[in-house]
Amino acid sequence: MGRFILKRVLLSIVTLFILSIIVFVCAQVLPGDVGRSILGPFADQKSVDALNEELGANDPLPVQYWDWISGVLTGDMGESRAFRQPVEDVIGPALVNSAKLALIAFIIVVPLAIAGGVWAALKEGSFRDRFVSIGGLSATAVPDFVWAVLLIIIFALTLGIFPSTATAPPGSGFFEQLWYLILPALCLVFVLFGYIARMARAGTIESLDADYTRTAVIKGLPQKTVVRRHVLRNSLLPTIAVVATQLGYLIGGLVVIELIFNYNGLGQALVEAAQQNDIPMLQSGILIVGVVYLVATLCADISYSVLNPRVRLGAEQ
Amino acid sequence: MDPRQQRVDAIRARSTELENHIIDEYRGGKIGRREFVRRGAVVGMSVPLLTFLATACGVSTEDLEAEDKPQTAKPKQGGTLRVGQQQPPGALDPVLVNSQAGLTILGQTGEFLIWSDRELVPQPRLAESWKPNEDGSVWTFKLRKGVKFHDGKVMDAEDVASTFDRLADPDNTSNALSAFTGVLSKGGAKAVDASTVEFHLDAPNGNFPFLTSSDNYNTIILPKDYDGDWEKTFIGTGPWKLDRFEQGVGITLVPNRDYWAPGRRAVAERQEIVFYTNEQSLVLGFQGNEVDVVVQFSVSGGKALLTDETVITTELQSAAHRQVHLRTDKEPFRDKRVRQAMALLVDRRALVDGLLDTKADFGNDSPFAPIYRSTAEVEQRQQDVAKAKELLASAGKEQGFSVPLSGWQGFEMPDLAQLIQQDVREAGIRVALNITNQATYFGEATYGNSPWLDSTMGITEYGHRGVPNVVLGAPLKSDGTWNGAHFKNKRYDALVEDYVAAVDLDEQRRYAKQIQELLLDEVPIMFTYFYYFLSGAKDYVAGVETNAMGHTDVSRAGFT
Repeated sequence: MGRFILKRVLLSIVTLFILSIIVFVCAQVLPGDVGRSILGPFADQKSVDALNEELGANDPLPVQYWDWISGVLTGDMGESRAFRQPVEDVIGPALVNSAKLALIAFIIVVPLAIAGGVWAALKEGSFRDRFVSIGGLSATAVPDFVWAVLLIIIFALTLGIFPSTATAPPGSGFFEQLWYLILPALCLVFVLFGYIARMARAGTIESLDADYTRTAVIKGLPQKTVVRRHVLRNSLLPTIAVVATQLGYLIGGLVVIELIFNYNGLGQALVEAAQQNDIPMLQSGILIVGVVYLVATLCADISYSVLNPRVRLGAEQ
Repeated sequence: MDPRQQRVDAIRARSTELENHIIDEYRGGKIGRREFVRRGAVVGMSVPLLTFLATACGVSTEDLEAEDKPQTAKPKQGGTLRVGQQQPPGALDPVLVNSQAGLTILGQTGEFLIWSDRELVPQPRLAESWKPNEDGSVWTFKLRKGVKFHDGKVMDAEDVASTFDRLADPDNTSNALSAFTGVLSKGGAKAVDASTVEFHLDAPNGNFPFLTSSDNYNTIILPKDYDGDWEKTFIGTGPWKLDRFEQGVGITLVPNRDYWAPGRRAVAERQEIVFYTNEQSLVLGFQGNEVDVVVQFSVSGGKALLTDETVITTELQSAAHRQVHLRTDKEPFRDKRVRQAMALLVDRRALVDGLLDTKADFGNDSPFAPIYRSTAEVEQRQQDVAKAKELLASAGKEQGFSVPLSGWQGFEMPDLAQLIQQDVREAGIRVALNITNQATYFGEATYGNSPWLDSTMGITEYGHRGVPNVVLGAPLKSDGTWNGAHFKNKRYDALVEDYVAAVDLDEQRRYAKQIQELLLDEVPIMFTYFYYFLSGAKDYVAGVETNAMGHTDVSRAGFT
């Protein structure tokens, strides 16, 4: 097991290194000049030149890459060019915000979707199966921004139950923050439910059809025990992989939701960094999203291997 | 003799020639009351003095006083006022701020020497008075005494001089350099004594007070030892002090109990500024009662607010506009008849009524917006398709031509581009739209590296300014750094220099008329409208003051 984890961690490090190069190269092709982006199109050219010099934007690319990556390795992500602050000070709160929203959405959607998928699979072809499958798929098919606007109009503007933004006032406590995050989290639940539920449903149907399930039933085990001990253990394997890949999306990809709900999350911070040519912010932000993806995938792999020893043994051999 | 007349005579005896000239014009009925106050204030006459003179010369001050009063009921003391605005895109440093979202914050805790009000009348703030020398090349400002920064230190002339020195120093990369280049250089601001500052200008400038005012929003007065860490303290002399600042979330401000003007101390007990990342969220938040005041919204983004009965909207005339440049050195616009035809094909009424819901003034192809007092009477250009076709035929382009129109995806500009495309099609002109993102459009913002400055035809946004000097220079003068039209005209350059140097309004207006007529004939840039500044407050809020630059003063605002 230890060898398996070590191998996965080493692979993740290599992946991150490659990602850092790709991110750095991509950031260089952004249109516009760094100093100009910060000072604005109407700023004096002398000011722009002086700022570019001060920010090191005129240094050769390998020098810029080395400055950045060596800083990241020692915990210094550099200074945000737009905000004139350490990148970690700007990106940190955004990452925490994204994590809060992702966590709430996860806590709601994962058990709900898995339960829905299994519930539907247990009566394949029935009304409840169609309800979960078609309903879930329909909810997923509706774009997140449509859900966002719909929920705001109904629950914020018409009924006045929830706030229309996700950002709680400064100094808000846990429950107030939670209250502000309910609507955007619901949007994500609608978007993700169908996807996760369908995976859980398909895995359950397959497991229900497997020899080991049939044997368990013939042995006379009650249905609940069969489902809990034999079906779920196997049916959730593909679902875990799906859930893990969604984590990266939830942390760094919720640009539209964050925009509509006025939420200062990582997705929005990255878009702004790209618009303002804030390369240190952009590079470090994408790298963080990459780390989240890799950690989530690693966790999924480990869970997978715990549930399915064949994976672990195969990797060790 | 009537004691009032005696006082008038005494005032006139100590007034300068220019001040007496303004008084004579008012007495002779050549200018109205509002203009009298504005012109007098620009050359440094105090508003109370001007109000007295307006009365003494037989004109009621009733209207004047009414203008200065909030239009709504008196607010109650206390409460937390929540103000919604767009999130500043970068660091909040008064030296660097270059955005609408940033400037509204500077004006909360910081103050200017002069406040440019909604009528563009300069009102004394940290400066009590100001006077030019004879040719307008040296301006002397008398500062208010007893003003303290939030840290308790007394503000003096050294602080003021160092504030302007910092902004005029190219090494500090200040946004204010676009206004100060060629006007005020580093070292030009000198502290004469503790409460007097002299500005020695690079060239005479009749509108210099506006460059020290809220119109030039980087000029909030900072301590002489300011070292760029404004976000930690929001230091200034204003009626609000920083309580808490959370990046990307908002700011909480509390009243400055030591504020120098007791009558202007904050009415509310707290002000919470809430940041919104986009206009749609801002409008929704305002409709959902999450904020009580919205600093600014556009017609396209906030149409719902214009008809909302619970919202009091404020519409202020402004000089903000979109320029549509036509490359004068490149086909098909080398011939001015083609440029004139383009301007005649555009239906300005449809733009103002349709695109901007009537919240705009017509543009007349020059930077002289109707809000400027120096704007002269010149016949308004109207759509005239027949004449446009005639001009095209005489220029050998009766079959029309194809031309690309560049711009970026922001505000109402893509819609403007489409409407122009539609209008000029009537004369066989085929416009291919090339709408990109902002960074691509502006590029490096230098000639040869920027669609903004290199395109044959392009749309560029320009914000409000208290005086047209910058827009007369950079986009239109032969050596202008933003001259997308590549317009080179020696007569124009000379006229602008004369206009900028003129201290007297009559003189300014004389040059303005010539500039307006020249630009109307040459059409290097189409100025089709000057849109209004729109802001809103809930009907239970009173006392919000805004100006067209976007400053929102809520120090006297509160709940009714």
